[in-house]
This record gives sequence, C-alpha cells and structure tokens, in this order.
Amino acid sequence: MKAKKSTPYIFLLPLLIAFGLFLFYPLAKVVMDSFYKFSFLNPSHKIWVGGFNYKWLFTFKLYSPVYSYFVGALLKTLIWVGGSVGIKVFLGLGGALLLNSEFLNGKRFYRTLLIIPWSIPWAMSAMIWYWTLNGQFGIVNSLLLHLHLINEPVSFLAYPTSAFISTFVVDAWIGLPFMVIMLLSGLQTIPHHLYEAATIDGAGDFVKFTKITLPMIKPVLLTVSLLSVVWTFNSFAPIWILTRGGPVTSTTTLPIAIYNTSFRYLMFGGVGKASAMTIFQVLLVTSLSLFYIRTLKGGES
Amino acid sequence: MKKVWLVVVLVLAFGVMALATQTLTVLMPIGGGYTIQSQEVIAKSFEQSHPGVKVNMEFVGWANLWNKIITSFGANAAPDVMYIASRWIPALASMGALAPLDNYITVQKEHMYYPSVWSNLIYKGHYYGVPRAMSTKVFIYNKKLFKEAGITKVPTNWKELLEDAKKIYNPKKGIYGILMAGKKFVSTVTQFEQYLCANGGEIVNPKTGKVEIDSPQAVAALKFYKELSKYAQPGVINWTREDLIKLFEAGKGGMYIDHVHNAIKAMKAGIKIGFFPIPGGPDSNAPYSTVVVVDCMAMSSQAKNKTLAWEFMNYMSTLKEQTRWDTLQGFVPPMIKEAQEPEFQKWYWKPYIQALKYGHPQAAGIKDWVSTANAILNAIQSVLLNQATPQAALKKAAKTIAILQNQ
Repeated sequence: MKAKKSTPYIFLLPLLIAFGLFLFYPLAKVVMDSFYKFSFLNPSHKIWVGGFNYKWLFTFKLYSPVYSYFVGALLKTLIWVGGSVGIKVFLGLGGALLLNSEFLNGKRFYRTLLIIPWSIPWAMSAMIWYWTLNGQFGIVNSLLLHLHLINEPVSFLAYPTSAFISTFVVDAWIGLPFMVIMLLSGLQTIPHHLYEAATIDGAGDFVKFTKITLPMIKPVLLTVSLLSVVWTFNSFAPIWILTRGGPVTSTTTLPIAIYNTSFRYLMFGGVGKASAMTIFQVLLVTSLSLFYIRTLKGGES
Repeated sequence: MKKVWLVVVLVLAFGVMALATQTLTVLMPIGGGYTIQSQEVIAKSFEQSHPGVKVNMEFVGWANLWNKIITSFGANAAPDVMYIASRWIPALASMGALAPLDNYITVQKEHMYYPSVWSNLIYKGHYYGVPRAMSTKVFIYNKKLFKEAGITKVPTNWKELLEDAKKIYNPKKGIYGILMAGKKFVSTVTQFEQYLCANGGEIVNPKTGKVEIDSPQAVAALKFYKELSKYAQPGVINWTREDLIKLFEAGKGGMYIDHVHNAIKAMKAGIKIGFFPIPGGPDSNAPYSTVVVVDCMAMSSQAKNKTLAWEFMNYMSTLKEQTRWDTLQGFVPPMIKEAQEPEFQKWYWKPYIQALKYGHPQAAGIKDWVSTANAILNAIQSVLLNQATPQAALKKAAKTIAILQNQ
C-alpha cells in the first residue's frame, strides 16, 4: 500500500501545532510588544512607539537613571556566561575522564552522587548556596578558616567581584552534572582498540588524549557546550536568590535586567523595553548558536 | 410529557445551583509567619457564614507577591481581593489596577482604627485598602552583651548609640555591636528609613511632592548608617533584616531594629532582651522615631462581584478577626479597641505601641515605591562599598526619584 503524499504532514501536525502555540505565538507576541509602551498592570492601554524601545537599548549613559542599563548588563552577561560555561566544560571534561578511568573504584556511587545537584530544583540549590557562602554561618568559611587559608570570615556575596564570581560558580555547580554525564557517554563510545594501537605505537597519555580522546568526543563536546551557553545565558534563579542583582548592579545580567524592567520598574521600564531586550538576547544567542554550528560542521568536513 | 417536564426541572435546578455558587479569588502572602493554614481558616469560616460562596485562596511567597499581582493583571486574571503593602497603592491605583473603596468604608468602620493608619491607604483622596497588618519597630538589645561591655543605660541619642556599638564590638569573638541590613531587599530601605526619619529627613515631602532624599538630614543619616556599619557584622550588604534574627538568637549581636515577633523569638532562644526606642538624630527635634508600615487588603478593579469582594474584606477586618490575626502574627494593633486586649498589655508590646506616638508613614507621597526603593538601595550599597560618598549617592538617587515623581 502506497502512502499518500499528505501522510507525513498529518503526522507532523501535532508537533507544528505545539510549536505554534508554545513557541511561535509567544515569540511573535514579544516582537509585537517590543513596539509598544505599556505595563502589565494596564495591558489594554498600549501606546505605539515604533522602534523607540530598540533605540533606547543603546542610548546609555553612565550613572544616569533615564538611560538604558542594557549595554552594561549585556557585557556582564557575556563575562558571566564565559565564566560559568568555562568551569562546566573544564571540570565536566575532567570529571568525565575520571569516571571513565579504569583505575577508579566505586564509579556507580560517584555517578549517583553527581546527579544530586542536577536533581535538586535550581531555586533550592541557590538557597543552599546562599547559606553555604554566608559569612557567619557558612560551611565554606568554616572550612577555609580551619585550613588556615583565611584569617577571618569572608562575605562572598557582599562585594562586587566576589559576588560576581560566586554566582557563576554556583551556576556552574548546578550545570556540571549534565556536562559530566554527556561527556562520559561520549567517552564511552570511543573504541578501546584505538588506545591499544596508540600504546603499541608508543604514544603517551597526553598524546592519546589530544589525538584520540578530544577528536572523538568533539561533536558531543561542542553540542553540550552550545546547549550550556544557551541555558547559562538564560540563568536567573541563582543570581536572583543569591544577590538579587547586587551589590549595586554588579550581578545584574540580562535576565535580571529584563525581569526588573518588565515586572519591577513599571515607570522607567515596562513590557515594551523588556521585550526589546528579550528580542536582542534571542537574536544574539541564535546568531552565536548558528556560528557555532557552522564552525562545528566546518571542523567535521 | 412527564419526562420532558422532569428534564426541564432538572436543568433549571442545575442552572440555579450554578448561579448560586459564587467564587471569590483571594491572593495572600505566605512566609514570615504567614502560613496557609492560618489564612485558610478565614476562608472556611466565611464560606460557612455565606452559603453558596466559594473562596479560592491563592498563596505566594512575600518576596514574589508584587510580581504575582503584576503578572495576574497582565494575564487578565487578577484576584478579586489581594493582600498588598500600602506603599504599592500609588503605583497600582494610578494604573487603574485597584478599585476605590469610598462607597464601602463606612464612618463606623473608619472610626474603628487609629486615624493615622488611614493616611497610608488614601491616594488622591480615595481609599484603596483596609488595614490588615501594622508594624512599628524599636531596638531590641542583648542585656548580657550590654552588661559585659559595661553599658549601664540604653542609648538616647546617636552619639551614645555609636559609642555603645563600638563598646560591644568584638569581632575576634564573633560579637558585633549592632546588626544591620544591606541586601537588595525592601526591608533594607525600611531599616535606613528608620535613621532617615529619626533625623528629620524624608524620601519625598508628602505635601509638596518634592524629593528630599538628598537633604542634609538624609545625607547625615546615610553617613551615620555607614559609620554604624563599621561595628556591625561583616558583609552587611548580604544581610536582610529578616535574616538578622539568626545572628541575634545566636548571641552575636548587641542590638538591632526589628519586630516584636522576633523579640519573642529571641526570648524563646534564651536571650535576655530589653527594648529602647530609636533615638532621634542630631538634626531632629523629636526624641524618638519609628517608621510605621501598613499592609492592607485591596480590591482589584477587575473584580467581577465587588459587593461580595467587599463582604469578604469586611469580614476579615472585624474586631474579632483582626485581633485573632494580630495576636497570632505579632503585629501592632491598628484598631483602637484591639489595643485594649490583654495580649497587648504584656511588657514586650508596650515599646512598640508607645512608638506609634513618634511614627512616620513609610511611603508618604511616593508614586512608584519599587523603583524608588531600588534607587535608594543602590545609594545605600554604593556607600557601604565605598563606591560613593553619601552626598553623591543620594544626589543620584534623588535624580531618579524626581523623574519617577514627575511621570
């Protein structure tokens, strides 16, 4: 029996409907909203402002409240994402290599342990870290004091630089298990005989790692890094719970700025400006992803 | 034919029943002592006394209450009745989110409360809320730490306050002269406002609408806040007022400004405590001061059945219900008769009720509290971090607030 030409489309229909309802419609609405000035409190009172909201994004002036804080938040986000994804990739690869090693006993136990940060709700993880990093009751300070690495407790979240670093370290802690598990699965697909052949040829561990391991897990590594960049760009809960964007604005990344603009700064901000910021973020992340995928494909060929 | 009549009667009966069941959506906060159970009791008893009415209580954490209100209006699904901080009234009312209550609040109802309470709930001559929770604050101090530092009497001015904090401060032992808040949270603004008002300053002049956060009194208050923080727990910027009780309970703080319910908590933890009112600053004539915070029940402009919504609000705020609520939560009674209840005659209540005499409204004349608070928080944090002088930081905040006031 020959299938009709329309059959594949019928099977695709539920997916297209779901995409339309949950992705394209909200996205189209955000695009529309970005051309208006209005607040959630009075959604029926919309004022058409054309491209003003987009212009506003780049009309910034330091220390002036009426100008945009978008550029500052964007720059912070880029560094923050770089820090967090960097830790995730570096430690993720290290962890995966360790768990794949022949010399490690109790791998199952470690793998189970690894799932914990991933299985705890993000908000809960951030709350745990809020108290873990606390200057008076936090276990981090207690450990550092016992090891004589510090003379007095450090309030990690109270100063701009340490708060900035602490927030992306916490974000990395939350996202690390995913990275380890994905990279581990990549490592397990490498045929063992490649290493055996390399050993016969007299290759050392470093050569094996750079010539066999890395090239073989490159597709997985690049895919999970890309996913991690996208997710980390949208990371909100760790920062909001740990510092609420402070001290002053030192941890105000784009998601925090968008949230404040949309829900809190009703008079300075509003849904229109927040939508323009969101669209810019979507375009930026999409462009980065496309560039990344193209590089990945180029590398493969 | 009989069967047809039976069907008609049944359909009509179901129709009448459906019409008779009215649903009221109420948004309430949880956290900080507000539990789901303690608030559902009110809904249940209202339903019992109002057959055919179903009260849907929605709960959200205090920190997310504002956002929940905003998003529910955005989705055109606002609750009929909601618990709000009175400082939000100008922003919510000016954007048409709240229904005025002028036609519902009777003279009799109005006279049940201290007159000053209502000033927090009126915007452009209209009532927008019924008081639900009121608080004043005073200093709670650790008697043992005061004694150990050789302090024999409580401070009555800022100079003594600073000296006493200095005497108690012993960071090597983990003992701090004073506990202070600096995190980006509303209570940090209120903590600073205690000093601001005590020194005769204001964020905005409620009569003229002029921004006064950069006045000499305000600058002196922020300078003093910074000076005091030298003798506070390290990393003040990462502490909210709500978390300070943990340090105080652990015997680590000489004194701090807080609610009566946390004073009771400290006593239960075995700390011998005393109270003293917040002393007036050098630029003020008033000997003491406190900021009066009022939370209220408000009616949404989207409420379908406003009469029923009001009935519920009225029910919640009877003398009996209000007394039950305030004694349970540890709030200062907003009703005149309520203050005569035996609970409020206890020694630890007196300083809080007496402080009312020197009370300042928290957000008088401020049009957009959330953005205004953020501007002040940035000023406080930048001063505590030595990024700006009090003058420069407050001048910047004043510029921001002036734009908000002129919107």
